[in-house]
Amino acid sequence: MKRTIAILVSAVGALAGVLLWLGVYDISATDQHLAPTYWLLDTGMRRAVIQRAKRIDVPPLDDATKVAEGAGYFKALCAQCHGAPGVSPEPFALGMLPVPSNLAHSARTWREAELFWTIREGIKMTGMPAWRHRLDEAQMWSIVAFLRVLPTLSPERYRAVAATAPLPAPTVRRSTPLLVPDPARGRKAIHQYACVTCHVIPGIVGSNAPVGPPLGGVATRAFLAGVLPNSSDAMIRWLVSPQTISPGSAMPDLGVTVQDAADIAAYLATLD
Amino acid sequence: MKLWRVLGPGAALLALIVSACSDVEPPHASGDAQNGRLLLRQFGCGACHRIPGVATADGTIGPPLDAIARRVYLAGRLPNTPQNMVRWIRAPHSVDPSTTMPDLQVTQAHARDMTAYLYTLR
Repeated sequence: MKRTIAILVSAVGALAGVLLWLGVYDISATDQHLAPTYWLLDTGMRRAVIQRAKRIDVPPLDDATKVAEGAGYFKALCAQCHGAPGVSPEPFALGMLPVPSNLAHSARTWREAELFWTIREGIKMTGMPAWRHRLDEAQMWSIVAFLRVLPTLSPERYRAVAATAPLPAPTVRRSTPLLVPDPARGRKAIHQYACVTCHVIPGIVGSNAPVGPPLGGVATRAFLAGVLPNSSDAMIRWLVSPQTISPGSAMPDLGVTVQDAADIAAYLATLD
Repeated sequence: MKLWRVLGPGAALLALIVSACSDVEPPHASGDAQNGRLLLRQFGCGACHRIPGVATADGTIGPPLDAIARRVYLAGRLPNTPQNMVRWIRAPHSVDPSTTMPDLQVTQAHARDMTAYLYTLR
């Protein structure tokens, strides 16, 4: 019995390995998954969101100014991919697979906490970004407040609402970290600022592109960017505004908050 | 039969897949790589940089030069080509006026040989 299971497992594994190696699976965005694969991924995604949203408390969302504020964020941050009543998604979004959902439908089929969780955390491999490093909780809840109203809007009414929606207020940036710098948070933030696309960083899965220097042992390096004497404070300043410290550097200003920079620096300091 | 005897071939296949993943190789640079290796030592590059294959080159002032041939930018701004590496070695301040990388008066021929060696690190 044990032997049969072992042979079976190994045969399936070997077959999967061969298919993987031969590049059989079509990963193009012009070819939808097979129906069983789609069902598996879609169900897994839905269950994961539902489970994680359970612990979230929903604040009052009926306030009209909240809804209006949310309309502004929706128009600026959501509609270009998801479209809106009578409004097409942008051309680039039409080329995505999965194509971003119609949010009037999503708003009717997902609970408030689930919408909030999805906005805050994003969803891997769907193109849905996490907004938690870009918006604060109140801003994200305002989007949920607007989403609740969205299915009730005719295309004509949406046009009117969108025309008068306030422009999103720029996020206020703190100049000092509010929380004690935390390497675990920094590890997550490293993905949220695309650090992994340019640096090899020990302990970070998927950081394998040597565009800039590798970051193993970076805390013990004497200079950052070849110009800035290194310290934990210097690292934070560099992460927040590289173009001020080394104008013309290929390292862009990524809008890193001081808190996120402090957390990232704390993670980098743990690397030998 | 032991479990591993059955799982063995699967593991071997997986190892093959993982090890055989490769991408497009960076170019090689012309010049005398072995001479370049000696020059990197003589010019004291290792005081600031970790350089695989160069004795005592374990500095941590600047970035390590492991797999430098694959790096996309030099000095955080210069597209990495053999010609640009020669330029960066010879005249760092012409690339970044505020860099701590010193101008070590390296000749064109020496910089070419150093570059030839550095381009073997991939």
